[in-house]
Amino acid sequence: MWSYIIRRLIYYIPVYLGVILLVMAILRVQDPVAIHLGKNATQERIDATREAFGLDRPFAEQYATFLKKLITFDFTEQSWDFPGVTVGSMIRRSIVPSLSITVPALVLTTLLSIGVGMISAYFRGQAVDKALVFVAVLGMCISVLVYIILGQYFGAYLIYKKTGHELFAIQGYEPGLQYWAHYCLLPVMISVIVAMGYDTRFYRAVMVEETGRDYIKTALAKGVTKRKVMFVHMLKNAMIPIVTQVMITLPFLITGSIVLEMYFGIPGMGRALIMAVNSKDFPVIQAFTAVFAALFIVSIILTDVMYALVDPRIRLS
Amino acid sequence: MLRLPLRADDPKSLDPVQGSTAYDNMATCQVYETLVQYKYLVRPLELEPLLLSEMPTISEDRLTYQFKLKPGVLFHDDPCFPGGKGRELVTDDVFYSWKRMADNGNDPKSWWLLENTIAGFDEYRHEQNAAVKEKKRTFDYDAPVTGLQKINDHEFRVILKEPVQRFMWVLAMFQTSIVPREAVEMYGDRFGRHPVGTGAFTLAEEDWRPGQRMVYYKNPSYHACYYPTEHMPEDVAAGRTKDAGKRLPLVDRLELEFFVQDQPMWLSFRTGKIDYTQVPDEYFDEAFIKRTKQLRPKYVREGITDQKVELLDFIFRGFNMEDELLGGYSEKQKKLRQAISLAVDLEEFNEAFYSGNNSVYDGPIPPGLEGYPPDGKADVSYRGPNLERARQLLAEAGYPDGKGLPRIEYYTSNASNNVEQTELFKRQLSKINIDVNAQIVEFSTLIEKVHNKKAPFFGFAWGSDYPDAENNLALFYSPNAAPGSNSFNYNRPEYDRLYERIRSMPPSPERTELYIKMRDMVIEDAAFIGSMGRTRFYLINPWLKNFKATEDFYNWPKYLDVTERGVYPSQ
Repeated sequence: MWSYIIRRLIYYIPVYLGVILLVMAILRVQDPVAIHLGKNATQERIDATREAFGLDRPFAEQYATFLKKLITFDFTEQSWDFPGVTVGSMIRRSIVPSLSITVPALVLTTLLSIGVGMISAYFRGQAVDKALVFVAVLGMCISVLVYIILGQYFGAYLIYKKTGHELFAIQGYEPGLQYWAHYCLLPVMISVIVAMGYDTRFYRAVMVEETGRDYIKTALAKGVTKRKVMFVHMLKNAMIPIVTQVMITLPFLITGSIVLEMYFGIPGMGRALIMAVNSKDFPVIQAFTAVFAALFIVSIILTDVMYALVDPRIRLS
Repeated sequence: MLRLPLRADDPKSLDPVQGSTAYDNMATCQVYETLVQYKYLVRPLELEPLLLSEMPTISEDRLTYQFKLKPGVLFHDDPCFPGGKGRELVTDDVFYSWKRMADNGNDPKSWWLLENTIAGFDEYRHEQNAAVKEKKRTFDYDAPVTGLQKINDHEFRVILKEPVQRFMWVLAMFQTSIVPREAVEMYGDRFGRHPVGTGAFTLAEEDWRPGQRMVYYKNPSYHACYYPTEHMPEDVAAGRTKDAGKRLPLVDRLELEFFVQDQPMWLSFRTGKIDYTQVPDEYFDEAFIKRTKQLRPKYVREGITDQKVELLDFIFRGFNMEDELLGGYSEKQKKLRQAISLAVDLEEFNEAFYSGNNSVYDGPIPPGLEGYPPDGKADVSYRGPNLERARQLLAEAGYPDGKGLPRIEYYTSNASNNVEQTELFKRQLSKINIDVNAQIVEFSTLIEKVHNKKAPFFGFAWGSDYPDAENNLALFYSPNAAPGSNSFNYNRPEYDRLYERIRSMPPSPERTELYIKMRDMVIEDAAFIGSMGRTRFYLINPWLKNFKATEDFYNWPKYLDVTERGVYPSQ
């Protein structure tokens, strides 16, 4: 397995180099210094800043320098927007708040969606199935912003106003498990509701497809109960698309949910990235994009490994 | 304890020389102080000493300013000082702080405030930065500057290159705050997050929770500052005079909570978690009766009060005066711009997009400043809508019924509701058969186009840096042409001469006359279509005392007090 991982890593090196090249080139189409410094910046100041950040050097040299930093995990470059704050420290401090939302949301969404998907497939064509599909489609049709606005109004504001008890925070974040439910549960619930619509439909389709396969017919012919076929035989065989779906989501765990973080004042990666984009904080955008690309590649490799683990027919060769 | 909202993400840095936004200002000036400050309750704005024992004496030729520092002003206790005890502020601190604005190594955002002002300072800056660039030596803060003359530890003189009236306003701006050298040298890059000032509050590094809040504590060794006795008549009824003479600050703790989105800020206000809120546009109808602009009875019953502030805004659509089609100073070229201006109905914009809350006025001088026309209407005016006159001027410009006039390129940013505003703008101009090709671009692209003089017609805005119309009139001074602040590339030698005169004049009826003359000159040349200024509304919870809304300075939390949070009179 390790040789496979190493081979895949080597295979993805040129891809990663290409991605970085592309990212760096795109970020330099317009002069990032002039954009960041704004309308009142003098040419002298633009030149001085460009020199200070090495942007006056040839592109190839900048590319090599940035690659070297990535390889050595050197994220000590300072944010343009927050002098004195390194990109590394921004990543470190915002990763946990992001994960506090995205990990529980992913786990809950996956478990619930698989469950609902299976129930739906089990009652395929019946009223239960139709009702579940209707709810799922309805859930995914409504914008996340609506859930947020309603969630904050009813879940945080109105409960507090009517009962004097602050069940959920309107916004904010405090580190520590004891504060998790107060600050994170509402955004997690919203995230689950939004994602469940898509996931339920996907898993239902997967399950329905599996129900038509020969091994299911064989099992049923042998007298295995329908329930056992669904939850033991079929679930095992449906793991490949489930793994794919979950693994694709993994990089987004780190980047967080931009909208939720913005509205709930959670100081996570998504919020940090969008703020950096808004203020043209070049080093942060460049480093975040590079990290995200790396995570994406790692998740692709992990997906392949997971395939082999859940399906003995797949060999890592 | 005060809990106040900051309608933004984190401030960028608390190093005064790196600050530029209103949010940086709010966060910084709780910790750092300037030589002078605005009188809290007095309108129009006036200056008073803060770190000075008295206002500076100014020589007759208005070139020499003599300052006396207030004795006994201590920096916050911090490990950067021997024994961790804050030392007294002295003349060298003032010179050091201002010199930091000249050091490119500090990435100063506001050198322009002192540029071309103090004798020998520009030369010092050039020389020092050149030496650093050539790697000869580091920036020498001990090198002398002709115009900065130390008399003793508490007295100094500043010699100006030429009389510049705005110098005093600059001394009230937070970028010129005084910092101790020891802290800058000890904390290096982290200095922007580890403030050590003389202000009413202190802020520990760990109390700055990124993306969340900043928690300040009362400075136990704050120098003797007292709640003002000078006030306006309306302050008595508003209860803002009861604390007169009390030692500042009035509270022990100040929390600034960051709000990126409006709904959480609004709901936090309604649950009493913050003491006041700005009223976001989408909540205006929730808070006020639209027709009367009165606070809704349910808020009045709760004891919530409202205040409004007209911002020193100059929102306009500008012409590039160097453009072949839209620029120029000939009669025909002027008439084309005047015709365009007369076709635009700013009141319709105001009603459609700002609930009629903005102020619409002639010229570049916003409400509240000398030179602002009475009721916003100047004697010379090309403010629309006057379609008949617009068509007539268009014909006189050589484009009867718009015939022969090429499509006009108009640039604006894609921020806020500019897409919708541009549609209205196009519709209004189409009434006189002017066809507009709107380029709705990123703000950065808009800046680039304006800087490069590539935008013939553009939507822009200017917020006054200090409450003196000179700041706005500088926008038409030809040496400031793009990429400087004169985005219009306006160039009239007569205007330049007048500007050079007013720059050094103290406030007087004669100066106001010149302001009006210059204002009317740019209106007559129709260098822009305008103008508009925003009005900001505030709601204040009943337990917050002494609040007087302003957007011109931000060190006022030291004057505020709170009674029991969360208790509404209706309860």
